[in-house]
Amino acid sequence: MRDPFTVLGVADDAADAEIRRRYLALVREFPPDRAPERFQELRTAYEALSDERKRLETKLLHTNTAALTQLSMNTLRAGLTDGPPPNAPVSRATRQTVAALLAAGIAHAMPGLSREDGGKQGGR
Amino acid sequence: MKKPHRTGPGNTTPPDILAERGLGALRRERFREAVELFKQAIRLEPRPEWKASLADAYRGRARDLAAKSMFKEAAMVLENTMGPGGPVRDPNLYLSCLIRDCQQQKAATYLLNHPPRCAEFEAMAAALLVSVPRLPDLAPGASPEQLRWRELAVASRAALAAWCDGAAVEDIDRHLNAISLRSAFRPLRLLLRTLIARPADADRTRQALDTIPPGSPFYPLRQAVSASVFRDSALDADTWNRLTYGQQTFVAETAGLAASGSQFLTRLTEAERGGPGALFNFLVKQTDLPQAGVRNACLNLLPQIPERVSQFERSFGALTFVEHQRVQALAAEARGNWEAAGRFWSAMAAAIANGGTDREARLGQGIIYRHLAGLAVQHPEIEAENFFEDAATSYLKRACVVDPDYLPGRLELIVRYRKDPEASKDWHHAVDETVRRFPDDARVLQQALDSALARKAYKQASGFARGLLRINSINPGVRRQMIELQISYARKQMRAKRPDLATKALTDAAAWERADRPSAPLRIAHALVELQTGAADRAEARLREGVALAGGGVAGWFRARLEADLMKVGGETRWLHRELVRGCETPPTPDAIMAIVSALGQPEVGENKRAVASLLLGMRPWLQRGAAIDWKPAEFQAVAEMLARFEAFDLLRDYARGASRRDPEDPAWRFHDIVAHTKGDPGRLSMVEEDELASLAEAAARREDFHMAARVNRFMDGERSRQRRGHWGPVRDDDELDDDEIMALFGAMMAGMPKAVSTNLRRRVNELGRDQALAELVGELKSSPFGPEMPEQLLRELCAAMVAKAMGGGSSRRSGARQGALF
Repeated sequence: MRDPFTVLGVADDAADAEIRRRYLALVREFPPDRAPERFQELRTAYEALSDERKRLETKLLHTNTAALTQLSMNTLRAGLTDGPPPNAPVSRATRQTVAALLAAGIAHAMPGLSREDGGKQGGR
Repeated sequence: MKKPHRTGPGNTTPPDILAERGLGALRRERFREAVELFKQAIRLEPRPEWKASLADAYRGRARDLAAKSMFKEAAMVLENTMGPGGPVRDPNLYLSCLIRDCQQQKAATYLLNHPPRCAEFEAMAAALLVSVPRLPDLAPGASPEQLRWRELAVASRAALAAWCDGAAVEDIDRHLNAISLRSAFRPLRLLLRTLIARPADADRTRQALDTIPPGSPFYPLRQAVSASVFRDSALDADTWNRLTYGQQTFVAETAGLAASGSQFLTRLTEAERGGPGALFNFLVKQTDLPQAGVRNACLNLLPQIPERVSQFERSFGALTFVEHQRVQALAAEARGNWEAAGRFWSAMAAAIANGGTDREARLGQGIIYRHLAGLAVQHPEIEAENFFEDAATSYLKRACVVDPDYLPGRLELIVRYRKDPEASKDWHHAVDETVRRFPDDARVLQQALDSALARKAYKQASGFARGLLRINSINPGVRRQMIELQISYARKQMRAKRPDLATKALTDAAAWERADRPSAPLRIAHALVELQTGAADRAEARLREGVALAGGGVAGWFRARLEADLMKVGGETRWLHRELVRGCETPPTPDAIMAIVSALGQPEVGENKRAVASLLLGMRPWLQRGAAIDWKPAEFQAVAEMLARFEAFDLLRDYARGASRRDPEDPAWRFHDIVAHTKGDPGRLSMVEEDELASLAEAAARREDFHMAARVNRFMDGERSRQRRGHWGPVRDDDELDDDEIMALFGAMMAGMPKAVSTNLRRRVNELGRDQALAELVGELKSSPFGPEMPEQLLRELCAAMVAKAMGGGSSRRSGARQGALF
């Protein structure tokens, strides 16, 4: 099982309410009918953190990457706060990025070729 | 590969023959040969069916090439099947090969000139026509459908270009409106509209984006758009890490992620790939990040790299004692050093306790003790602080003390006590305490009921059973247990010649019966008591009813006869025997024999072995015929074990031989044959049989048949364990232990003496003096599980040896030369 703190994106000292709020937000984003595997992962992580003893057990008996996740997330959020206005021109590179994403999608969708989804497998 | 038969200009093989050979080659999947043969045949006579077969041969050849990753060659071979302006034989394969060979432009040209008919290819064609650098031209005389596809592609490319150039929303919209919602370009329209108009209704936008399924070629772009648009609510580090690098780039470019942030995340990902050491080095250098977060991240890496503790302490200051113990414990677990892991966890638990009495500290302690108990079950290196206690039980007990409200921990402790025949008092005590804390929990009530039944505490058991029935009014298990308890009490009264009390007990038992599920044992017991009290007619009717409920025939009458024996009911029941004998005239069935096995499984039956053995003897011919039944393995085991338990070894031998005839390869029969031959006494095993049993156990363990392995080992260890328990065989007198044996025993015990015991003994000697400490230790050993079976002199010598070992290995005064020789 992946580190539940990282799966839910919460700090290892997060309170019950925060864990629940985060879980519900993620479930809205990845509902079971659309992303069953991701939902299952979220559910398992939530079960591991929703109970006081289980959460403490996860903290004491296992290593976790909650702090690392928090560092990445803070960096990500700090970087994103100064984003461009909605309709600012994107760089020429973006056109190529879109073409590359479509090419990746074609390779995945092509019958007889790989049918994996566009995301990475596993992650951290 | 066999060379194809080439036909030169002078070859006069008729085309029919060539085509026939070509078909044969096609059937044998020798496509290259088939291509050559059909080409020659068509050159002589261009028949349409041969052209179709040639196309099939080309397709087969192309598949072969594609399977060897020769995509360029495969596409070229398929192009041979293309007529003027017509499609290739296998467009799917052709496009796959072109895309795998990075010939997207050619694939787009093909798709534009041959518009696809199925949705799957339509989506791919749309994605290709948007993504290729140059939109292909149409051949002259293009069909309206081809023109429509091109118009849509032009509009889509224009919309994308307008968005990239930061055009006004109206301009982009104008292009987007030219894209039909029913066309395959719809996903692009949807994605661009999401990007230009920041969604006011997130759920609606999500629903719209959800219409692009994971199999769509637009799906990776859809994920990137979703991450970019919903970055405030749903983009976290985990989601970020799940994106591909292309998607991350898209989010960074569209959402304006600062270069420094993007670089940090990229380097972090690279460092993670380098392992915990590389990640630790990377993190330690991040001085501009919040140091508390960096410290916490590094702290969680330390168990994987415990050698970096000093580097960590240089950077972030000293670890607390608890942190240090946790890091070392986790590191020891990772190395498989269970003794060290146990030591570090114990120290950590103690340190948590010293740190305060708040709830979290207690819960933490409980968690560590339960973890230690779990480790102790798997790894004998984990020791209890008390030498004479089982480590797992000891830690579970501690966990219950510090965290008394955690029910699963309590139930685990109860189960451990229950399995230990020496710990029945602890079992009942633990159950009583648990039921006081959790009076309405079904699992606790069931444990409490079992405990009360074991103590034959009827009133308590009734209370718990009623509690269970309040939770589940059907609960057949509880009803059966209560009825059995009452029947057991009635038997006792019958044996004491008190049929009135037996009748009362059985009348009370009827309260536990469900009206729609009458109990056979209760009917039979009641009838047998009534036979004694004089109501013979009613008793016989009730008895026959009970027998019928118990399966009738031999199974039913056996149960009645058995009950009569257990109650020691006299001559009035001779007719039962006659009925049983009459039942035995029918051939045995697996169900009837299994019903007998079930009846003999009652605990009280084991206490009346002699009566049962004589009963079985009376049925010997009938049971013997059962040996020929084609038993299922599990049933055979149950029957064989029953026969061994009641020492019907001749029958067991017959069953084993019957099994050997049915399946000579099955090792179970050989085991039971040996048990029958030795009459269940491992002391009678010959060397050959011992070797054979050891091989059987090993083979069973290898094929993961742990029941069989345990069964064999239990039998082989039987003599020793019986002596240990002092039940069956005679225990050797201490006088029989010679000096060498005692020395070996002491040597083994001293070698394995835990450090904690040594420390404890040293402390006692220092506090109380050697003699007093020794006297205390002897007292403790006497009350330990093996104390009662150990002669006092031997106990004293053992204690003296322990004290001597603890105090540094010097010989004790009392054990003199013997101890001197030991240490």
